[in-house]
Amino acid sequence: MQPLVSVRSVSKTYRRERSVVGALRDVSLEIGQGELVRISGPSGSGKTTLLNLIAALDRPDQGQVIVAGIDLACLSAARASKYRAQQVGMVFQAYNLIPQLSALENVLLPMIALGRANKTRACELLDLVGLADRSDHSPSQLSGGEQQRVAIARALANDPSLVLADEPTGNLDDQSAERVMGLLTSAVRERGRTLLLVTHQRDTAQTVDKHLELRGGVITSVSGMNTSDDLCSAP
Amino acid sequence: MIWVKLTFGGFGRRFVEALAATIVLAATGATVAASLMVVEGARNTLSRAIRQDRPDVVEVKSRFNRALFETPRSGNLPPLTIPVYEPLIDPAELETAAGDSQVVKRQSLFRNVLSGDSFLNIYIFGIDPDVERGLSSFSLARGRFLGRGDHAVAVLDQASARALGVDIGATFPVRKADGTDLQLTVVGILDRLALRGAPPRSAEAPSLSPDSTFVSSGAFVNIETSEDIFGRDSLTDALAVARTASDVPALVAKLREAFRLEPGIFVTERYSQYQRKVRDFVLTLALFSTMSVATVLLAGSFASNLLHDIYVERRRQYATLIALGFPPGMGIAPAIFLGLVLGVAAVVIGGLAAHAFVPRTFAMPSLMADLGPTEPTIDWVVGCSLLAIAIAAVGVGLVSTALRLLRQPLAITLSEDNL
Repeated sequence: MQPLVSVRSVSKTYRRERSVVGALRDVSLEIGQGELVRISGPSGSGKTTLLNLIAALDRPDQGQVIVAGIDLACLSAARASKYRAQQVGMVFQAYNLIPQLSALENVLLPMIALGRANKTRACELLDLVGLADRSDHSPSQLSGGEQQRVAIARALANDPSLVLADEPTGNLDDQSAERVMGLLTSAVRERGRTLLLVTHQRDTAQTVDKHLELRGGVITSVSGMNTSDDLCSAP
Repeated sequence: MIWVKLTFGGFGRRFVEALAATIVLAATGATVAASLMVVEGARNTLSRAIRQDRPDVVEVKSRFNRALFETPRSGNLPPLTIPVYEPLIDPAELETAAGDSQVVKRQSLFRNVLSGDSFLNIYIFGIDPDVERGLSSFSLARGRFLGRGDHAVAVLDQASARALGVDIGATFPVRKADGTDLQLTVVGILDRLALRGAPPRSAEAPSLSPDSTFVSSGAFVNIETSEDIFGRDSLTDALAVARTASDVPALVAKLREAFRLEPGIFVTERYSQYQRKVRDFVLTLALFSTMSVATVLLAGSFASNLLHDIYVERRRQYATLIALGFPPGMGIAPAIFLGLVLGVAAVVIGGLAAHAFVPRTFAMPSLMADLGPTEPTIDWVVGCSLLAIAIAAVGVGLVSTALRLLRQPLAITLSEDNL
């Protein structure tokens, strides 16, 4: 079966003043449909870069990123947006909620992008994350954990095949973090969607199908039920 | 509603900056509008001068001879043939001197015409109807104007027609130089008339404009008919139309040279006065344009900077919209719309302020006296200029944000700490 996400020999560098920093070095991996994958590693190991490449928020210097048969390197900015609207739900560490919109309106945004705003569905999603009674609240009136739950509802708005979560609990206390992670994984599992979860913590309570560890821009270890060493690069 | 909130909501402390940017842009707009209104007014004045004064037209006139005109004619005298211009202009000599410039020939006669039991003074103009209509203005009330090939027909102004008691189709006699009468048939009645280079009015005659010091009435006939009445083809006056206004000095020199031995023939031009008006207009343009440009550069850049700050603060919002699947154009649409609304509001406020406070008539500085007072005008040129300035200011403020969003990876913008 064709994997949903295929990352092939991807390298990415950033220029910082006069130096060049290698964020990813010849990374390859494959993620199947419905898998829950956790990517962990210390800060600066390339986790967010990898997620950005899969979300078509950035382009690799070398290699290919193919998601649902789409080669992301070939996409124009407009088609990359369409790809994100149709295929990807994103949960950011800083939530990235629009502050002047209510929780409900924030959840509606991805639907508007696809031209099919559905207020009922947005309310259901808020209900799913336990915020049905706070739909009219603006982000500033919500706690960090609540904001991240709104972000999860927003990520699920268009029922994407791939959910990307970049350190979703990075700004939360342990209790809130536990609740958010539980919500995220259960929501994704219930829908049979693929979750790519980036965290700097090696251990979380949630069970995942695959766990990748990144260090210095390379995958140093792969573990999990469906792990196949030949799909992943190692130093 | 979401788009309204995305565009105008959540300004926070940046609301003051948005307001300041609008006020500065409005003040800029008002200053620029006022300056451009004066420039437009000056341009209109100059255009009017070109249209009315016709600097490309040179007048060649023989002297109006009052002594001959005032020949005693009291008592029961027959109608007299009274030449009012002396000496006369030789048309061949005029054509030669004018070269390739267009010559508009005229014969202006003054006749005592039999009207009922008395005589009526009336001006008779022999003209080339096709050429004359390009220079003078004739407004027909009834009938038709003169045409080429017409003979012994006349077009009268309403005042003369009324005084003579004639209408379309009627005839009236005019004594020819040989002593016989020529019956002129009326084919048209004029209700308005503006003869370019009209002779001075110095005798009682029916008049359309009683207060005018120039002749504003009379009977118009083809020049062939007037030659028949006058008994000669000599001209009383003529106009020479230069190919361009700048050819006028050379044309005037040639005409003066040709008629240097005829002290009673005067060659006059308006080109010199027009040139002084042009100089005044250029000065006006330079002065007020400099003022506008300086204002735009100083205040416009300040407003742009304020807008830039607003956009930078909202940059991550726009990036988030694109990251959520909005096309890049829609992602930055709130920024563009915000800028346009602020810009248009500033233009409207500035334009209205300028319209309200700029005087209806602007007296030019004494150094620009030749152009005279101008009427500041707000028109589409001024409006478009204001709009262009507002759009430019907004564009400059937006450009770095737009480039960042459209040219750089979204990941970089999303990692900025300013949502």
